[in-house]
Amino acid sequence: MSAPEIAERALAHAGGHDAEVFVAVERSGFARFAASEVHQPTLIENVSVQLRLVDEKRAGVATTNRTDDGGLAELARRAADVLASATDDPDLPPLTPPAPMPDVAGFDEETAELGAGEQSKLAAAAIGASNGFPLYGYFTSGVVEEAIASTTGLRATQRATDSTCLALAAADGASGYAIGTSWRVGELEPAAVAEEAAAKAARTRDAAVAEPARYRAVLEPYAIAELLYYFSFDSLNGLGLLEERSFFAGRIGERAFDPKVTLVDEPLDAGGLPRAFDYEGTPKRRVPLVEDGVLRGVAWDRATAARAGVESTGHALPAGERSFGAVPTAVRLAPGEAESVDELAELVGDGVYITRLHYLGIVNPREGVITGMTRDGTFRIRDGKVAEPLVNLRFTVSVPDLLADVPGLTSETKLVNLSDFYDERWAYAYRAPAIATGNFNVTGAGSGPGL
Amino acid sequence: MRDACAAGVDAAVAAGATYADARAVLRRSQAVGTKNGRVETLADAETEGIGVRVLVGGAWGFACDRRLSPEGARDAALRACAFAAAAGGNGRRALAPVEARSGSYRTPVEVDPFSVSLEDKVALCLRAEQSLAHPDVKVAQAFVRALGERRLFLSSDGVETEQEIVESGAGMDAMAVADGLFQMRSYPSQHSGASAQAGWEYVLGLGLDQEGPRVAEEAAALLHADECPSKVTTVVIDAEQMQLQVHESVGHPTELDRVYGTEAAYAGTSFLKASDLGSLRYGSEHMNVTADPTTPGGLGTFAFDDEGVPAERQPVVAEGVLRGFLTSRETAARLGAGGGGSMRADGWARMPLVRMTNLHLEPGSGSLDELISEVDDGVYLQTNRSWSIDDKRLNFQFGTQIAWEIRKGKLGRMLRDATYTGVTPVFWGSLERVAGPEEWHMHGLTNCGKGQPGQSAHVSHGASPARFRDVQIGVKA
Repeated sequence: MSAPEIAERALAHAGGHDAEVFVAVERSGFARFAASEVHQPTLIENVSVQLRLVDEKRAGVATTNRTDDGGLAELARRAADVLASATDDPDLPPLTPPAPMPDVAGFDEETAELGAGEQSKLAAAAIGASNGFPLYGYFTSGVVEEAIASTTGLRATQRATDSTCLALAAADGASGYAIGTSWRVGELEPAAVAEEAAAKAARTRDAAVAEPARYRAVLEPYAIAELLYYFSFDSLNGLGLLEERSFFAGRIGERAFDPKVTLVDEPLDAGGLPRAFDYEGTPKRRVPLVEDGVLRGVAWDRATAARAGVESTGHALPAGERSFGAVPTAVRLAPGEAESVDELAELVGDGVYITRLHYLGIVNPREGVITGMTRDGTFRIRDGKVAEPLVNLRFTVSVPDLLADVPGLTSETKLVNLSDFYDERWAYAYRAPAIATGNFNVTGAGSGPGL
Repeated sequence: MRDACAAGVDAAVAAGATYADARAVLRRSQAVGTKNGRVETLADAETEGIGVRVLVGGAWGFACDRRLSPEGARDAALRACAFAAAAGGNGRRALAPVEARSGSYRTPVEVDPFSVSLEDKVALCLRAEQSLAHPDVKVAQAFVRALGERRLFLSSDGVETEQEIVESGAGMDAMAVADGLFQMRSYPSQHSGASAQAGWEYVLGLGLDQEGPRVAEEAAALLHADECPSKVTTVVIDAEQMQLQVHESVGHPTELDRVYGTEAAYAGTSFLKASDLGSLRYGSEHMNVTADPTTPGGLGTFAFDDEGVPAERQPVVAEGVLRGFLTSRETAARLGAGGGGSMRADGWARMPLVRMTNLHLEPGSGSLDELISEVDDGVYLQTNRSWSIDDKRLNFQFGTQIAWEIRKGKLGRMLRDATYTGVTPVFWGSLERVAGPEEWHMHGLTNCGKGQPGQSAHVSHGASPARFRDVQIGVKA
């Protein structure tokens, strides 16, 4: 049964309430491998049905994965119980009205049709290209059909595919990382991803220790994309702004970053993982966040927008994550003019080169301070050249300080998957160039590269 | 459910699986959250389905189906077998033996949390939040959660188990803001409060509204506190932060799948080698860590893990020496020691992985006051705020919500933005003393991430406050 059909049937059980149904139908597969062998292959087929009932200023939500009449009737009963327990929220926005939805790409028949056999073959293609390094990672693909139906008359459907190959080429004392993602599997080359990881790994043996200090640095797209994602949790989030956790609080309109820094949420971009509407049925749109270093705005869902007196920008999260606020999930860091990371290393002169990050933690949300480790390809930059490999470095950086001094960015950008695929499938990715910064604070050293 | 599980296992074996298991899971959860006097989260969720795991030609396969019927289970079994065949195996996978048996388990509860009305849950949150009222507190929030899960497991090795798990939890946060500073205090922890395998009595026992005024006062006072200095010093760490320290720097590195590299691509590996068992000095003689899936109230408590292995209390570190790993049947067979018992899956749609159950720092002796009284110059660190550790679980950095200067055995001024950092065996080697059983507390976390696709595990840790020497504090950006 299709998502729109399930949504209509669930709405019919709403029993005269103002109601909104969001349905997601998922079919996905993971060929996860370790030591060049698929060890955790997982096939998932599921449906999620969320029913939200609204009565003036009160709302109640229930979810299920049962789509028979009994299951949907039970869903409606539980949602009504929840609604009856709610208290008035003076700022509760009404249900999303109908609106024209943007035309977006994001669905590919070939990707949607991939089964276990093809997923295994694409994993094997990566494994076969790791140049002798044991390979760790996965190939995954999935298709999600989402539908929203509301008593306001809103009806919308979107189908989205995604495919990702993550490769960690690793042996004792050496490791390299790469990841590729696309909604069209035909644009994804698992072998090329593995080759990139293996080539990086081959350069990481005999890693040296770098002393804690404030360095100039080059961050590959994998690293800067993840750092911006963690920064977005508080600082690019409307709820964070309302609660004054955001670095943007009281600073919108100020030039806080280097003029080379422009951040835009681009959910309609066919070069990303596009979506037409969010989990409340609000049409997606382009949202400027930072323009030429000037802080311009943040993301909003309907609840936070109502409290702020602005419009939703189409950033409602799935129901189970709504309390986190509105987090932009398609951010694009504008490219610069450098033709390569080598050119960025020249701009840095003396510093460190970072491929990817590991286990980030937010130390101080208001100041945008984040700690974490570098991993799988950390190098010293000397005399404008990428030089000897380094062990993994502990860093504690203020993201605003890092973005305030940007000698350059590459002209080429990369789409970086940021979804770890917890719960129901929802792939999202940031697009970023490599970036040079004059301010990267190394506060310790950890283990060496490799297993 | 039993018929469905049996159909799944039978179909897998008929399709060539040398081993198969099926888990049927029904899960219901409720979440209630209020913020600044309004209901922010009010949700009731249910999900059900069956997951079938197979070994075909030495390769694993897993598939799931939301239909809790023999037909759904058979379809999942055949897809799992097809994936295993496509993935290809090396034929070398062996499993530690498990005794054919049946058994059951149910969380003991005094008050079923689902029997408590949502109105009462909302009222409790609002009362808790009101107790956080303070002019400098910009955001006050409180939350409760309940989870009920019925799991039926059946394997081709003749194990059949049925378990019913009930969890309850609650917590609250006060966020204070002034002059560009943001400070937060939480109770009983920042990680969505704390949870236990228990009924509503656990939530009531937390006494949120009684703790509220202290929590709010401390959040407001942090706005005017001095910043934690940067230096190497003696630290006394409270039980809540010690629980996360145990989780990150002992629990994860002793997961044997990480030691063998199968989590390398995501969560990472471990600084430990399998050959370190029985000989590696992990910490000082005061360090004793135990894995115990039988602890009453623990989120990692069960009678059987998700491979049908009976629960068993096991030492992990004894008097500072590595004595055990957390294992699956496969990793235990590879190690040649143990029999598994730590395999857990997040619901029906994920493969089981090696996970922590309940991992405790065993108590020493004396009170928190005694630990502090023996410090001439140091800091007392309370309540986790941030956490990060490297992929081999060596270099870590934690932040706490609040800290206190210790001078000549007494607590002094309050400090904000405290952090400490170290390297796992060096840090544990500097453990001077663990407080006694009267200071030992257990909290449950519901956000332990691992696996691709990602899985969240619910685990508990017990600890007493502990004291460490020569620790770097006050890391600055």
